[in-house]
Amino acid sequence: MSNVISASHLTLAYDNGAKEIIKDASFNIKKGEFVFITGPSGSGKSTLLKALYGQIKPRRGNLVVGGLDLATISQGKLQELRTHLGIIFQDYKLVNEWTVAKNVVLPLMIAGYAVDVQNTQAHRLLKHVKLSEHADRYPKELSGGEQQRVGVARALAKNPVVILADEPTGNLDDYSSNVIWDLMENACQQLETTVLVVTHKIPTIFSLPYRHFIIESKGVYEVH
Amino acid sequence: MKFIKNHLMFILPLMAILLGIEFYMVFDRTTDSYEKGLREGYSMLVVTKKPATLSDFKALNSHIDKSEPIERKEIISEVAKGISQSTTKAILDALPYFYNVSLDSYMNTTALEKVKTDLESATNIKRVETFGSSYNSAFKLFTFIKFTLKLFIGFMGIVSLFLIIKQMEIWKYAHKERMQVMEIFGAPLMLRSGVLFKVAIMDAITATLLTSAVFFYIKFQWAAKSGIEIMMEKQDDLFKITDMAVLLGAALLIVIIAVYSVVFSSKGVQE
Repeated sequence: MSNVISASHLTLAYDNGAKEIIKDASFNIKKGEFVFITGPSGSGKSTLLKALYGQIKPRRGNLVVGGLDLATISQGKLQELRTHLGIIFQDYKLVNEWTVAKNVVLPLMIAGYAVDVQNTQAHRLLKHVKLSEHADRYPKELSGGEQQRVGVARALAKNPVVILADEPTGNLDDYSSNVIWDLMENACQQLETTVLVVTHKIPTIFSLPYRHFIIESKGVYEVH
Repeated sequence: MKFIKNHLMFILPLMAILLGIEFYMVFDRTTDSYEKGLREGYSMLVVTKKPATLSDFKALNSHIDKSEPIERKEIISEVAKGISQSTTKAILDALPYFYNVSLDSYMNTTALEKVKTDLESATNIKRVETFGSSYNSAFKLFTFIKFTLKLFIGFMGIVSLFLIIKQMEIWKYAHKERMQVMEIFGAPLMLRSGVLFKVAIMDAITATLLTSAVFFYIKFQWAAKSGIEIMMEKQDDLFKITDMAVLLGAALLIVIIAVYSVVFSSKGVQE
């Protein structure tokens, strides 16, 4: 299997390099793998995730996602890459003035899909996350667990190559968390989507074999 | 209520700019004929030793537009009463040639002096009278009014532009969350700022229609019934349908510049 994500001597930093977060990290993640990245608070988990969707540029080294090096990528290519990623956030990042259905089809809207295709997909995705009856409601009218299911549905909308999730169950109770893990596990198993989850704690309910990296003292290490 | 307030905060400054532009266009049109009148009503007196033609004068200064000889017989007709024909002929022979000379544009005193100097440099020309002082006071008053109006419109435009950009910032803040989410999912700039453009263009059209309505009212209601002679005479110049196109073009240009300045000022990828 080919590498979908590949980091080589990667250094990530803020303040023009003055504050290094990740230093000289190298790792590879293959297509269809389910990967956890853990580490203490402030270790750089979210920074690494931001770098993976191009919000932060590598200071040194290379970070290749879907064949594109994020150290040298152009703005146009970065936009294109992002349309092939599914991103899930701890705070959901839903657009509150849009309905649930419209939030779900955002990636399709950006890709320029016809409205009827968007509607059909919204229906299918919301059925998949068991929120069909909430299609015309607004995010603020839903519970945290429901909002995160909307976030997962949006991440799955365009059958992404990679799903990047930043503490996806950080604000949820156990029941809602398990639903979210199930949905992501299914995406990985059924669609062969690479899933990379940043979390402070790996859930115990997991049935899939997964890889685990830990961020410690600015380094990224695989736990065997 | 908040919706109306948000839009009025954008439409009103834009209207101030458009009113300024339209006032200037109206002023320019109505004073154009006044300026023409001043220019055409003005002529300098040139006295020559021998007869001269327009091309002779033009060769000395290119701003000379017309020359009209003053009949010498008419000049001496009053003084020649009761004088013999031979004496009259002798006076006529001794008399120089007089010309009313007009210019192609309305000039300031310095430019007028230059014309005078150019003309006086010719050996055939005995004397040039520009009547500069009366000419200059009218010119100064006219240019002062024009300058003051331009200054006022310019000042109003700058203040209004700042208000428009400020309102844009508020809109951007209101749409920030949506724009950020769209950016993360790869939406290009035009798509994620599409709402700002849409709202701004709608407001630009509204401001144009309201400004046009104000001038339509001035033209067809106020000016027609004002009883002010100049207003009634120049009623056609007060607002023309082509002005709407100019106003719409200006409004769209302003809002597009404002939206771009706000959208591009937002941060993208961090290094």
